[in-house]
Amino acid sequence: MAQYSPPKQSKASQLIDVIVLVVLTFGALFVPLWLGLAGAAKSVATPVPNPTWETLGQTPAQAAKYEALGYTPEAAHDLILARFDYSFSIGALLTMIVVILLYYVLILRFSEVEYREVISEKFGE
Amino acid sequence: MTNFDITSKTMDGMGPHGTKVGLLRVLGPTHVWALGVGIVLVGEYMGWNFAVGKGGAYAALIACWFAGILYTCVAMIDSEVTSTVASAGGQYTQAKHIIGPLMAFNVGLYLVFAYTMLEAANAITAGYLFSVVATMSGYEAALDQRPFIVLVIMFLAWLNYRGVLATLTFNLVITAIAFLAIIVLFLATSGIAGGGIMEHAALFEGYELPYGWIGVLAAMHFGLWFYLGIEGTTQAAEEVRSPARALPFGTLAGIMTLLIAASLTWYVSTGVLPWEFLGDGVNGSVAPLFDTARLSGSTGLIWLLGFGTLFATLASANGCINDASRAWFAMGRDKYLPGWFGAVHPKYRTPYRSIVFLVPIALIFALGAPLDQVITFSILSGLLGYTFMPLNIILFRRKWPLNSIKRGYEHPFHPLPAITLLTLCGVTFFAVFLGYGTQLVAMVGFYIVVSLWFHFWRYRFVNRGAQFTMPWPKPRGY
Amino acid sequence: MELWNWLEYAAWALSAAFGLHMLLDWLKTDSTYSEDVLTSSREGELEAMAEEHKGMTP
Repeated sequence: MAQYSPPKQSKASQLIDVIVLVVLTFGALFVPLWLGLAGAAKSVATPVPNPTWETLGQTPAQAAKYEALGYTPEAAHDLILARFDYSFSIGALLTMIVVILLYYVLILRFSEVEYREVISEKFGE
Repeated sequence: MTNFDITSKTMDGMGPHGTKVGLLRVLGPTHVWALGVGIVLVGEYMGWNFAVGKGGAYAALIACWFAGILYTCVAMIDSEVTSTVASAGGQYTQAKHIIGPLMAFNVGLYLVFAYTMLEAANAITAGYLFSVVATMSGYEAALDQRPFIVLVIMFLAWLNYRGVLATLTFNLVITAIAFLAIIVLFLATSGIAGGGIMEHAALFEGYELPYGWIGVLAAMHFGLWFYLGIEGTTQAAEEVRSPARALPFGTLAGIMTLLIAASLTWYVSTGVLPWEFLGDGVNGSVAPLFDTARLSGSTGLIWLLGFGTLFATLASANGCINDASRAWFAMGRDKYLPGWFGAVHPKYRTPYRSIVFLVPIALIFALGAPLDQVITFSILSGLLGYTFMPLNIILFRRKWPLNSIKRGYEHPFHPLPAITLLTLCGVTFFAVFLGYGTQLVAMVGFYIVVSLWFHFWRYRFVNRGAQFTMPWPKPRGY
Repeated sequence: MELWNWLEYAAWALSAAFGLHMLLDWLKTDSTYSEDVLTSSREGELEAMAEEHKGMTP
């Protein structure tokens, strides 16, 4: 197989490539943030008015620790009662699975094509 | 082989004809240990406790041990491949030789992002620590954390720029102190040396598994944080005196150290701090070991763990700069990225352009993004990397069976570790999906876009046969 | 001004000093050495040397 010789890349083209990569990177992190889709916030389902350690469901041993940390029942109210919501839709789960599988299939397929080329050039034939 | 010593002064960093400028071979196995453990140990000082919030204290322990199994597989697989493929690119070079160029490009990016994001997270934590110390010393106003965040990144980048030996020796010292601090805290508070303050049963009462078993699954997400980064030992391969021996040794010693540190950390923190406080790393316990020391009432322990936390963040950021720049450099050298990045400093023998280039990127993330997002970005990149590893080892064993090339280390029970690793990665993907599904899809979308960009545009600048640099026979089946 | 205010300024100054040092050294290095020398590092040199040597001494 004929040896492949890559073109020489100009300085400007190198710079553009770096910029493209950096822009994509920041996009991946900040776009979900801007769209407000970055999830995983905890929330308090049923607030307790005038909380005491008992109504917050704390045993004396647990309450003693909170007091040692400098909390009052009012201050610790949100911290203690906030919970994650783990409900999810099957559709979203399937979307995730499909996207991940698609991704791996894509890179493995393209890699294999490129790899065969590398091996045949390296080991002749 | 007697008159030919690649580790000798004259051959250091030299190419086959003694004309080239390469990286310097100066590191020993302890440096490899320091690089691996140094990056990760910060995970014990902060971040892992989000797992407690996700599912309660027991869930965090289960996640800690299952993540421990995941990383033991990672360390075993990695040790075998890297003892054969010794290159600064680490897993990137492995992927290039075993799976193919596009996979390698993706793996290289996983490495750079996982480490750069982790570096940003460390700088944020260090900035927070300075503000705590300022408050403790009686400073009334709110401290501006930004100069300290910038200083951490600048100082460590400068250290990395100036040479790898000083960088990793510095890491060895501060990592050892941070590890010893955990041991001392355990001995002082557990009751083994008298005066125990552990109250596990009383603190867990009524909240053994607050979310049930789905909480255990969800906790796997941050369970990774106990060990994330141990695979970075491979990036030192071109700077280690005898890679085939030092890399497996340093990596496996590292994972054992971390298993101990992670279990002790869980034990002391959950025995002292209520789980709701411990599990909220933003409004509650930012630095759980430090908070544990505060509740012990001993001033000596408070200072020790305060310094331990600071040292752990520094060691980690330092190792991250080291690893991210090596991976970026290796990709530049192969023209996967502009070749300009593949330069080595003639005097300091470091990939100086890559180090400098990654500084502003780390700064932007450290100053402009919230901590849990940065951590999630890092964990996701790491997770994609761990999913690659089982594919890597299975293909490695298939293309080059055990007797076809010399391996410095062969991992036992193949393919059990690979299958275990793949299964645990699947579980962790689900755990990330439960909290951060959008980021997960955005992130994978990003990798799909850059993969297409690479395949259809960037790859034309890459030499085909010449990028296969290992002196191996032709792979089986080609 | 309090101690911590001074420390804030000191941190900014030190950061700038480290950054400037890297930048100056970088420019100096790039202008002193040719691009070919700087980017002459190759992957797998260790393996290549071992192979080359094996070939030389039968």
